[in-house]
Amino acid sequence: MRTGLVIEDNENNMVLMTRLLEKAGYRTLWAPTGMQGAEMAIKQRPDFIILDIQLPDIDGMEVLRKIRTSEIGNTIPVIAVTSFAMAGDKERLLAAGCDEYIEKPIDPRRVISQLKRVIGEIP
Amino acid sequence: MKRRTFLFLTSGVYRTAIDGGAASLGYFLAPVIILLIFSFLETPPAMADVRTVTVGVYENAPKVFTSESGKPSGIFIDVIEYIAKSEGWNLRYVHGTWAEGLDRLAKGQIDLMPDVAYTADREKVYSFHKVPVLSVWSQVYARKGSGIQSILDLNGKRIAALEKTIQLETFTRLTNSFGLKITLIPVPDYKTEFEMVAEGKADAGVTNRFYGLMHARKAGLEDTPVMFDPAPFFFAVPKGDPKHLLDTIDSRLSELKRDPRSAYYASLARWTSEEVQFKLPAWMQIIGLVFGGTLLMSLAGSLVLRHQVNERTRELKQINAELRFGEEKFFKAFHATPDAIVISRAADGLLLEVNEVFLAESGYLRDEALNHTTTDLNLWVEPGDRERYSATLREHGKVRDMEARFRTKSGKVLDGLVSGESILLDNEACILTIIRNVTERKKTEAELEKHRLHLEDMVEIRTSELSAANKKLKELDTLKSMFIASMSHELRTPLNSIIGFTGMTLQGMSGELNEEQKDNLTRAYFSARHLLDLITDVIDISKIEAGRVEAYPEEFFLREAVDDAIATIGPQLKDKGLIFEINVSRDMHLNTDRRRLLQCLINFLSNAVKFTESGKITVASRIADEQVSLSVSDTGIGIDGKDIARLFEPFERLETHLRVKAGGTGLGLYLTKKLVTDILRGSISVQSTEGQGSTFTITIPRDISDYPGVLDEKSGGDIL
Repeated sequence: MRTGLVIEDNENNMVLMTRLLEKAGYRTLWAPTGMQGAEMAIKQRPDFIILDIQLPDIDGMEVLRKIRTSEIGNTIPVIAVTSFAMAGDKERLLAAGCDEYIEKPIDPRRVISQLKRVIGEIP
Repeated sequence: MKRRTFLFLTSGVYRTAIDGGAASLGYFLAPVIILLIFSFLETPPAMADVRTVTVGVYENAPKVFTSESGKPSGIFIDVIEYIAKSEGWNLRYVHGTWAEGLDRLAKGQIDLMPDVAYTADREKVYSFHKVPVLSVWSQVYARKGSGIQSILDLNGKRIAALEKTIQLETFTRLTNSFGLKITLIPVPDYKTEFEMVAEGKADAGVTNRFYGLMHARKAGLEDTPVMFDPAPFFFAVPKGDPKHLLDTIDSRLSELKRDPRSAYYASLARWTSEEVQFKLPAWMQIIGLVFGGTLLMSLAGSLVLRHQVNERTRELKQINAELRFGEEKFFKAFHATPDAIVISRAADGLLLEVNEVFLAESGYLRDEALNHTTTDLNLWVEPGDRERYSATLREHGKVRDMEARFRTKSGKVLDGLVSGESILLDNEACILTIIRNVTERKKTEAELEKHRLHLEDMVEIRTSELSAANKKLKELDTLKSMFIASMSHELRTPLNSIIGFTGMTLQGMSGELNEEQKDNLTRAYFSARHLLDLITDVIDISKIEAGRVEAYPEEFFLREAVDDAIATIGPQLKDKGLIFEINVSRDMHLNTDRRRLLQCLINFLSNAVKFTESGKITVASRIADEQVSLSVSDTGIGIDGKDIARLFEPFERLETHLRVKAGGTGLGLYLTKKLVTDILRGSISVQSTEGQGSTFTITIPRDISDYPGVLDEKSGGDIL
């Protein structure tokens, strides 16, 4: 069973995301801040990371930079979650090292299919 | 006034000089003339080659007549004698009546007939020269108290007139034309005519004015107001001018008429003035012609002189009157002007004349000012001003509006504008100075300046107050933006949860739902989405209105942006089964804010889909210069013309049968317009026919990277 790390400060959104992932057959970890998220990613080596870009302590982009510059490097796929109206560029996020990009409000079925594609479960 | 006194004096002296000159000239001339006459008599001009000219004489004084001494006299005689003397002619007179004279002339028995009026008939028999000797009016004379006041009073009267004259012909014609019945009595000469009138044998007589002037009073007659036919009178010669006299007469006559002092005018003056009496007493005749002639000559001489003196006196009176008028004008101007005027002598600077304004403003009495210099009076506050004034006058001859300050007698200081001019008065170099008192004006100007400075101060204070307020406002604005930014996040986060959870449940991930549960959740789901859209639009609009939305230009292909927009709207499009057409070239690339353009396009497309039940939606582009037009056309319900103006207003949702079904925030087009104009720097327009469809078009620059307020590419994203 694969494990996903959800870095998300809002509890409701975290519950939504973890419940969705569990129903799809994944185990989940949760980090409510950017710093905790980066730490957990490096220490626990999840199979994928769902990263909210707006976090209370450090910016999601900063979390991404920490992960990519750590010893785990590019080995773990990261899916960024952001709001459309607040979006920075999809391209900007991809260029910074994200593997996929999800807009809020999320479409549950679509999130799962995007995830499966990223981690290579479906082509 | 000094000048005026001088002028009177001048004209007085002049007149005295002329009078004295005339008198002494008269005394001087008399013996000379006597001598001349004596010498003339001693050498009679009986020379062999002298031409003899025979002249007819008849009685029509003063034009031509025989004097009491038996000598031919009158104006015509004076003229012909002058000519004879100048030309060396020897004159021979033949006396007779007027008719006899004309008859003799026609037969060639005489060479010249005086006093002949020109007519075409006479022209056949005689020849005339061209310059008339006289122009004479004809006039009716009657006994005193005749009561004749107009030509009509002549009706039924017996009128005597000279036979065979133009005068008689004209008079007859004239009276006939008035329908008058007149008994004409032709007479051989005017003397007979006047005698007949005087004796009552005729009621009135026609004669020329010259004769009348001279003889009427003596004959006991008076002139009537009836005057007519001014006619030119000439010398006449036999037809063809056998003795070639006419040219000579013309040239001499012209000469005589040109010179006002000529014998011609002397003769006129002599024979037409009733005052002139020259009847020689009987004892004089005994003494002899010599003395008589002498007297006559001196009389003529004095007449000429008197004429000259009168003429000159008249001219001087005229000049004097003109000068006095000019002087009066000057006097009035000098005193009536609101400016101070000073006339000073250039040589020593003494004031020769000042006007009342000067005295009133300087405070000096006339006697204190005159014959003093401005330095004596301590007038100039700055001595440098006086020097500057004199120097400018010396150099340019005049000064205009020089600013200077003056001290009055009481020590008060006045501001003045000084103008001056070098002038010549009685051949003496003088300076005319005009000072305009501008003290009040200066005061007003200073006051104005004070107010102006005060105003500037006030403006400065206000400006700093305003800029402080502005700074505060900017801070508040930043605060507001921050607030909106966090609000946006805070509002959206729970909404995203609601949408996520209801979406998950609706998608059956938490087990099967019955129809009612599904319907309830669907309503909750779309309400949450609608709320999210509203929040998003409101935030966008408030950010744009606060000027806090920057344009982030980037290079992209227009066609790709269009495809993205269609992909977003795709599901709705498919549900309705509409035909979709894209006429956008694949190689057109732009450098503008892609995300904002996309937002606009999606809005247009979403509207098009909402309001079109069947048919086609077309996206087309067109490039013109540096602008690109992008339009979305539909075959939907269209818009009533009267509603088009409201289309881009916030929360205006037009009343249509599709309104409820279409949904929407009522902010879409308002936001789109703001995005197009404020961010994409373009314009938006719409064409629509109700029931047929609409076309929304935006026209934007292809490249906005050089527009002011546009951020550099990739300089950063939206902070929210």
